[in-house]
Amino acid sequence: MKRKNWVVAITVVFFFIGAAAGHAMAVDEIRIGTIGPTTGWATIFGQGCLNGIKLALDEYNNEFNGVPIKVFSEDTKADVEVMRTKLDTLKTRDNVHLIIGPSLGHEGMAAVDWGARNPEVPMLIGYSAPEDITMRKATDSVIRPGWTGAQVIFNFGQYCAKDLGYKKIIIVGQDYSYPWDQAAGFIRGFLENGGEKVERIWHPVEAVDFSSIMAKLMNMSKEYDAVLNNSGGAQVVGFFKQWKQFGLDKVYPQILGQANVPIVSMLSELGDSALGVYSSLHYYDGNPSEANRKFRESFKKKYGHYPDVIAVQGYDAVHVAFKAMKAINGQVDDPKKFITALRQVKMSVDESPRGPFYFDKYANPVQNIYIKKVVKKDGRLMNEAVKTYEEVSQFGPYADMADKYMAAPATTRDYPPGDKISYFKEIEKYFGKGYVEKLKKNNGWVD
Amino acid sequence: MSLLVIMSLFNGLTLAALLFITASGLTLSFSLMRVVNLTHGAFYMAGGFIGVSVIKVSGSWLLAMLAGGSVMAVIALLEEKFLLRWARGNDLIETLISLSVAIIIGDLVLVIWGGYPKTIEIPAMLSGVWTIPVIDMVYPIFRIFMLGLAILIIVALWLFLKKTNLGITIRAGVDNFEMVSTLGINVRRLFTIVFCLSGFLAGVSGVVGGTFMMLVVGEDWRILTLTLIVIIIGGMGSLGGTIAGALITGLIYSFATAYIPEFSLFILFLPVAITLSIRPHGLFGAKA
Amino acid sequence: MGCLVQKRDLMQFSHIPKTVALLSSLVLLVAVPWIASDYFVMMCIRVMYFGMLTLSLCFLAGELGVVSLMQASFFGISGYFIAILQTRYQIPFPIPPLVGIGVAVSFAALTGLLVIRARGIYFLMLTLVLGQLVWALASQWASVTRGDSGITDIFAPVIFGISTEKSKSAFYLFELFFFCGVIYFLAALKRSPFGLMLRGVRDSEGRMAMLGYPVSLLRYLAFIFAAFVASIGGVFFAYFTGLINPHSVSLTTNVETLLAGILGGIQTLFGAILGTAILKILDLVLSGITQRYLLIMGILFLITIMFAPKGAAGALKRLWDSVASRTLGSGGPVRGASDDPFYEDTK
Repeated sequence: MKRKNWVVAITVVFFFIGAAAGHAMAVDEIRIGTIGPTTGWATIFGQGCLNGIKLALDEYNNEFNGVPIKVFSEDTKADVEVMRTKLDTLKTRDNVHLIIGPSLGHEGMAAVDWGARNPEVPMLIGYSAPEDITMRKATDSVIRPGWTGAQVIFNFGQYCAKDLGYKKIIIVGQDYSYPWDQAAGFIRGFLENGGEKVERIWHPVEAVDFSSIMAKLMNMSKEYDAVLNNSGGAQVVGFFKQWKQFGLDKVYPQILGQANVPIVSMLSELGDSALGVYSSLHYYDGNPSEANRKFRESFKKKYGHYPDVIAVQGYDAVHVAFKAMKAINGQVDDPKKFITALRQVKMSVDESPRGPFYFDKYANPVQNIYIKKVVKKDGRLMNEAVKTYEEVSQFGPYADMADKYMAAPATTRDYPPGDKISYFKEIEKYFGKGYVEKLKKNNGWVD
Repeated sequence: MSLLVIMSLFNGLTLAALLFITASGLTLSFSLMRVVNLTHGAFYMAGGFIGVSVIKVSGSWLLAMLAGGSVMAVIALLEEKFLLRWARGNDLIETLISLSVAIIIGDLVLVIWGGYPKTIEIPAMLSGVWTIPVIDMVYPIFRIFMLGLAILIIVALWLFLKKTNLGITIRAGVDNFEMVSTLGINVRRLFTIVFCLSGFLAGVSGVVGGTFMMLVVGEDWRILTLTLIVIIIGGMGSLGGTIAGALITGLIYSFATAYIPEFSLFILFLPVAITLSIRPHGLFGAKA
Repeated sequence: MGCLVQKRDLMQFSHIPKTVALLSSLVLLVAVPWIASDYFVMMCIRVMYFGMLTLSLCFLAGELGVVSLMQASFFGISGYFIAILQTRYQIPFPIPPLVGIGVAVSFAALTGLLVIRARGIYFLMLTLVLGQLVWALASQWASVTRGDSGITDIFAPVIFGISTEKSKSAFYLFELFFFCGVIYFLAALKRSPFGLMLRGVRDSEGRMAMLGYPVSLLRYLAFIFAAFVASIGGVFFAYFTGLINPHSVSLTTNVETLLAGILGGIQTLFGAILGTAILKILDLVLSGITQRYLLIMGILFLITIMFAPKGAAGALKRLWDSVASRTLGSGGPVRGASDDPFYEDTK
């Protein structure tokens, strides 16, 4: 008697919780869901994006044409299984009209999967950079007003070979897909524009001690011209630290950085050791444009510190959403219309802190890529652009052979090959002899 | 290539020094209290972050070290007095309590210092490189200092355990807990002192580690895992064992990172599995 | 095991046969996809696969009195093998899950040899480190596991012509079948002479050895059985999430499993499931309100260990007992030695 009642009671309770969870929402409001890692080790990636989102919404007074906007913030805890659940929550429990996020690479890959199975909810990818989200796995409802790992670094490889004159480079990075993507993009730009060799050294994502790698780098200093640090977060701090400790700053020129290396939040910890570091990105904090100035100052006012590119993603996503909503007169309850409008948004240089951009047919931005250098201005460290490449798509220099690019093998930690001969064999195979001839004739890419 | 070998050797030794400094506290608390203090990693991290703040305010590295250690000693005191003591006698519950405290401290660190990585500047006196005579190799002074610090702690602990009354009592307590209590010695107080000391060592090692590499949320679990590896290999409760464990772990990690960096993490765990299959209580551990 | 083992309860017995109770709960569970929201079904699916992971931990904790921090390894190993065999070699169902479970169990057989000699804290530490070894392998052997990025595109199978990938209800029922199977298996184990022997080892190993019982073998088998259960959970985790990455075998996952077990009541099967449900629901509820999820979990963990060592299941039972004894009086037959292993902690 008791046990049965007990079981029934508990089941009924759960049932009511479950049923209550699916209650209907009010109609006259616009609901935006945000998703990203806002707790745990990846907090800065999720929280940064969320800060940008909130700042942008403030600019619109949290409403659109008088209709209030409600934000549902979900935390992924950097766990994909949790993210899937939260995405379902946002869709079925909160009935959101739009999802902005996520931030991490593996989150993004799982998110596009979810987007393909849930095409009624448009998703604006935040910071996630794996290229397949808007290439091999692209799906209608997933739009990325962000970037891909390779997109921002093709031209960096080119710059290092052509402008800085390096011939052989070592890339030291964390062993997972995002740095693989960055290394691959760099290698393409480097080897196709005069570079000879790129050596990749991978270490665990959470390396404890770089001293042995430093020893190795010291050993290789006679043969190689420069070192690129292909990591993010705490690992960068550790790397720079031990670089100096072991006196490597005396045998190599300044460190080259991957996209996440000299971001604003890192600069305060790296201090002067970051001076002179080159890197490339679709945004630079030293951009004197009015849009950037306004963004930075209002962010500082609201949050007490300057923003970095992570916040830009959230900020831009909201502006993109609003432009689309304007175009369809706020009819966010018609997902097809909303999605089409989103994909057609164009942002001018006055509307985004990063500069102008528009979406390619896979819904990834075609935007400026800046080669930047860390300098000190008014006593503060910041990034300044030394060269700008305009209208770069996620396919970089391969924009007119996108299919060939996607047909080539996906990036892994060893692919594409890092030495010139093997590399050229590969591109001849996948991009054709004609492409190789063109490279030889033009001595690289046409600027 | 032989330069790489020599460098890896030095790297291994200095890493071992850091590991030893970090593990010494844990081995101390285990040897007497038979509690695996899972809060140890959190003490390391929190102590390090406290050092970051102290150095920002005072500019003194020494002060940062002492502050990190002392604050952790106090927290250890509170943990022992109010939480662990309550569960006295039940090792498993004590361990689980220490785990929950670790989770709590971990999140508090995130709240107070944020999610961005932080580092502690090497004090000017200890920065720079030194050319080691004979082999003519340049090596960071700070790492050599760490080696020196580890040796200092080894000697201090050895003297403490072997020569002082307190130390002798602690060792007696390790070997025969009941007997020591019946002798009228306040074993309770002993526990508290030992636990505080282990917290102090953990906090100090956090500041040293934060100077050596960096500090970030999540470091607590990494350090805890490394420390456990050192102690399992070396054997619980033995000072010599901790030294051996630290040496083995440090050297293997350094050489692995130099030659096969992609697998360095996995290589770290292999000695544990091997040690366990041959000598389950560690190289120098006594059969419990 | 001190505080975690309670003194024997005197239990009142039920009037209505057990079978009716079981049947009606089963009917309700099967009916869930039709009576509850899609969202609720999803939560049940998650609670089930994580529940199996928690069950595996609670089985070892309850029967052998040891806390294992590596159960997620078995959970993840089966998931990884499904991922590799399906996405890379296109091997059809049901071979991948069978291989996955097989490998996980074999791994348990291997590591079991290392851990059976350990007791108490040492066992906890050992399993922590071994679990980390698996995690390091998953994270670093990128050519096989794709490292920290994980393997995506795992599609759930088609059962009897219905795609469990497309239909959540179908997946739910598919999983429910095996979930009930796992519970039945564990309950049967607990009730069997094997279970009795295990508890004998838990309470008084020396005596058991003296009486001639093969103590090491018993511990070894229990370890393998627990791994088996965890690996089944991993199958459904991989199929439902559609991807697997090192996080599923990480220390965080192992600690969360322990947390679930402690919250619910680490000695009973019901406690394992209840704890998992509480944890997952709290996760959803808290994340909308505060970012201090970990802090709250840590405090909850602490409070439960100190004041409610039998977890929520124990608290519920105490509540129930006090109500029951007041309404039904103290007459009536006393419960026999073979208490229901699902609800009661067996002594």
